[in-house]
Amino acid sequence: MEYAVKNIYKSFGPLKVLDDISITFPKNKTTCILGPSGCGKTTLLNIMAGIIEKDAGEVLGIHKQDISFVFQEDRLIEWKSVRDNMAFILKKKLKKKEIEETIDRFLRLVNLQEYKHYYPRNLSGGMRQRISILRAFAYPSSILIMDEPFKSLDINNKRIVMEFFKELIELERRTCILVTHNLEEALDLGHKIVILSDKPTRVKKVIENIYMESGDEGYKVQLRKEIEAELME
Amino acid sequence: MKNFILKDRQFSLLSKLILIGLWAFLSHLIDKEVILPSVRSTLVSLINIVKDPSFFSIILHSLIRSLFGFLFSLLLAISLGILSSVSKFIYSLLEPILNFLSSVPTMAIIILALIWLNNELVPMFVGFIMVFPILYQSVLKAIINIDRKIMEMASLYKVDRLSIIKDIYIPSIFINLSSVLTSALNINLKMVIAGEVLSQPKLGIGSNLQMEKMYLNTAGVFAWIIIILFISKVLGYMGSILKKLSKEEKWK
Repeated sequence: MEYAVKNIYKSFGPLKVLDDISITFPKNKTTCILGPSGCGKTTLLNIMAGIIEKDAGEVLGIHKQDISFVFQEDRLIEWKSVRDNMAFILKKKLKKKEIEETIDRFLRLVNLQEYKHYYPRNLSGGMRQRISILRAFAYPSSILIMDEPFKSLDINNKRIVMEFFKELIELERRTCILVTHNLEEALDLGHKIVILSDKPTRVKKVIENIYMESGDEGYKVQLRKEIEAELME
Repeated sequence: MKNFILKDRQFSLLSKLILIGLWAFLSHLIDKEVILPSVRSTLVSLINIVKDPSFFSIILHSLIRSLFGFLFSLLLAISLGILSSVSKFIYSLLEPILNFLSSVPTMAIIILALIWLNNELVPMFVGFIMVFPILYQSVLKAIINIDRKIMEMASLYKVDRLSIIKDIYIPSIFINLSSVLTSALNINLKMVIAGEVLSQPKLGIGSNLQMEKMYLNTAGVFAWIIIILFISKVLGYMGSILKKLSKEEKWK
């Protein structure tokens, strides 16, 4: 099944936000949607998740799937431990025994077992976001939607959480849609980079990130220049 | 910080001693037991009341009335608060009732209660009409203040309604309620006693207060006031322990 959005249009009153957006999302790869702040990236994600209605266009494959989410904020429930925060979203999907096994497996996978009974207030900002990402991966879904998940983190934590995400995506393959306005995040995490223009938002360019496959820093420099030029236009 | 708390306690003790001193001085000056009894006669009355075989039964009856009334108010406030938050109809239905309770003098409602209800139920009803609006508003505020982003997360992950109520609504309500719980418990106790004064159930602190008043035994009235203050203090401690438990152990 193909995951894609086709010819999406969306306006809020007289303000045209999305103007004929079409993107396909390769299976088990990360697609980064890159664009200036406030260009309508979150609106596009909300349309894909079914939170808001589109004016026209099609969302293909995505609505039929279970979707995991990582938000700008960690959205952990303060009065629940790490284990209970994870169990909260798994309850409807899995049986009691499976929930315990899933939580233990994912915490073990990233060596965070010791935090199982911690409450969010006892975790740092970076650790809270790591748990939020882990929660999304533990949820049995085929698509992972991430809306600027590193935005609220300081530079050190951002690096740590990005590495954490890379490690997880290597271990647990998912079709991932990552929205960001940060070029470095897009280059480091996206197999495919979709550059959006400012309002009314259109797809400006789609780039296959060869740096992700090769790891060659030279490609990264070249792609950075190319994307910067696109964003400057 | 520790020194500051210690000083605070010392001041509190000093203020109590000054009040007792003022009481002793004024009662000596007035020299009329009916108007202002002496500290000594109040203490004698207090000992006599406590030594009475029915003393614990009287306290127990008032406490049971207070507790049942409070639990009833709490359960109703939680259920109606949740229902009001999801149904505009129920919210609008309750709004005039709450406005009525807050604007009509409590005494008028108590008089109606005395006509309609038996004397065992009146004290609980009086407690209920005072405490229910406080608890209901607190529940409603807790639900309105629930983080919308957490709710959005739960709905995106398709968490069922029952889990949302059990794991998000109820804890949020109790966190919010913990700040008014102690004062609501104390208001409830005071109102139950006031209700007992008026409805005169067989056993109750209020009935005994009324009895002491009828016999013009002001020292007895003072002694019962000391007992009520002591019960209020115990309820206050229980409330703070519950608050601490709810915050530290589970919900915050």
